[in-house]
Amino acid sequence: MNTQGIIRAGVLAVFACLAIGHTARGDALDDIRQTKRIRIATDLGLPPYSMTDDKMQPTGSDIETARLLARDLGLELVLVPTIGASRIPMLQTGKADLVIATLSITPDRAKVIDFSVPYATLRTVIAGVRSIQVKSIADLAGKTVGTTRGTANDFYLSQTAKGAKVVRYEDDATTAQAFASGQVDLIATAELLLPPIAEKNPSRQLELKYVIQAYKLAIGVKKGETRLLQEVDRWVRTNLKNGKLNEIYKRFHGNDLPEMILEEGR
Amino acid sequence: MSYEFGFSFLSERWPAFLAGAWLTIQLTSVAIVFGFALGTICALTRVYAHPLLRRFVGGYVEVIRNTPLLMQIFIVYFGIASLGLKLSADVAAVIALVINMGAYATEIMRAGIEAIPKTQIEAADVLGLNRLQVIARIVLLPAIERVYPALTGQCVLLMLASSLTSQISTEELTAVAEEVQSETYRSFEVYVVAAMIYLALSLLYRIGFWAVGTVLFVRRRHLDTPL
Repeated sequence: MNTQGIIRAGVLAVFACLAIGHTARGDALDDIRQTKRIRIATDLGLPPYSMTDDKMQPTGSDIETARLLARDLGLELVLVPTIGASRIPMLQTGKADLVIATLSITPDRAKVIDFSVPYATLRTVIAGVRSIQVKSIADLAGKTVGTTRGTANDFYLSQTAKGAKVVRYEDDATTAQAFASGQVDLIATAELLLPPIAEKNPSRQLELKYVIQAYKLAIGVKKGETRLLQEVDRWVRTNLKNGKLNEIYKRFHGNDLPEMILEEGR
Repeated sequence: MSYEFGFSFLSERWPAFLAGAWLTIQLTSVAIVFGFALGTICALTRVYAHPLLRRFVGGYVEVIRNTPLLMQIFIVYFGIASLGLKLSADVAAVIALVINMGAYATEIMRAGIEAIPKTQIEAADVLGLNRLQVIARIVLLPAIERVYPALTGQCVLLMLASSLTSQISTEELTAVAEEVQSETYRSFEVYVVAAMIYLALSLLYRIGFWAVGTVLFVRRRHLDTPL
């Protein structure tokens, strides 16, 4: 872009900011159908749900779910990259139409956004080096545990594990790096992150301590967009029933969706 | 587009914001004091010392001023830990900020030192002052006075840049804002509140620097003229 182009873009940006107050917004579903594209927020740092392959292309079960959804609805897919703590603001501020980013259903979140029917599952765990003995939440007292800020694990540690010292990092990659470099010896994270971390850092002797919870993952929709939510719900049920969502999950995770998710499709 | 503002989270979460702001002040203040000391020593080295040492300091300044602060923070926190020395996030943050501030302060102070008229130093030589006395009594204070506005600006920038240390888990103001945001989902309001606190802190630092300057620069206080 030449200098003039940059200046023009800057002037446009200023006017765009001024104009925000005056834009009329219709129903989200109508907007999506009109523009023929759907913006889906994903977090590319959480394999095997979402990651980049060796050609730096997004892949993973969440990404494939987003692709399938866009294809079935006949829309162009626009992936909006985000991190754990930004997933909900992405919806609230209209930067994305949907969030498919290992978003687990929690009562607090349900107050500010709407959740679709669950489409997959995620187990969260406490894991750490072999030399530290941890079997339950009581053993965490006085210990330092690393996690990702703003995730369900963060709430679990902050609100339930009172005696633990919580160290919060910006995203899952940084949390993994903190464990790998020895800054923390225990982490609260998604179970599926353990194999890649253990594989890349054999000397750290990572092992699973205990399972915190099995979460239902759902697609996040902006609060009040009922028609869009119904459309997404209908899609999830259909694809749970016809086995396509299970196929995606199995391709990346190696096992079938658990009964508690499959029964949602019936 | 309608949006209802909700600041009710403040009634419950203001102690967290206060604690975050306090840690920001602590990190920044320590980094300013040691960074300025480091910068002054490096500036004197760069002007007066052996050419080899000058080159060395020059290398430090160029490397730090031409790489992102976030990379420097990550290198101190993760890099050093990988080598076996575990630093807490706060200590790593301060070290990274000191190294960063030191490089910028070096260049600012060098400008001040080089602006001292040669005739003043020659006059001091004639009066029989040795090199250390010349630096301490003739060079340093007027040099600081000349570049004081630039130093003040750099320190405020450092305070704002300390928000980056939330990435390595220091619970300073930005980290608190992220935390409250992810629990209340009031991102707009939370960031507005955090920004206002940063604004207040900037003002506080500027007032502080003005006060220190008034006490330190006796000549200016009496004459009220620029050097």
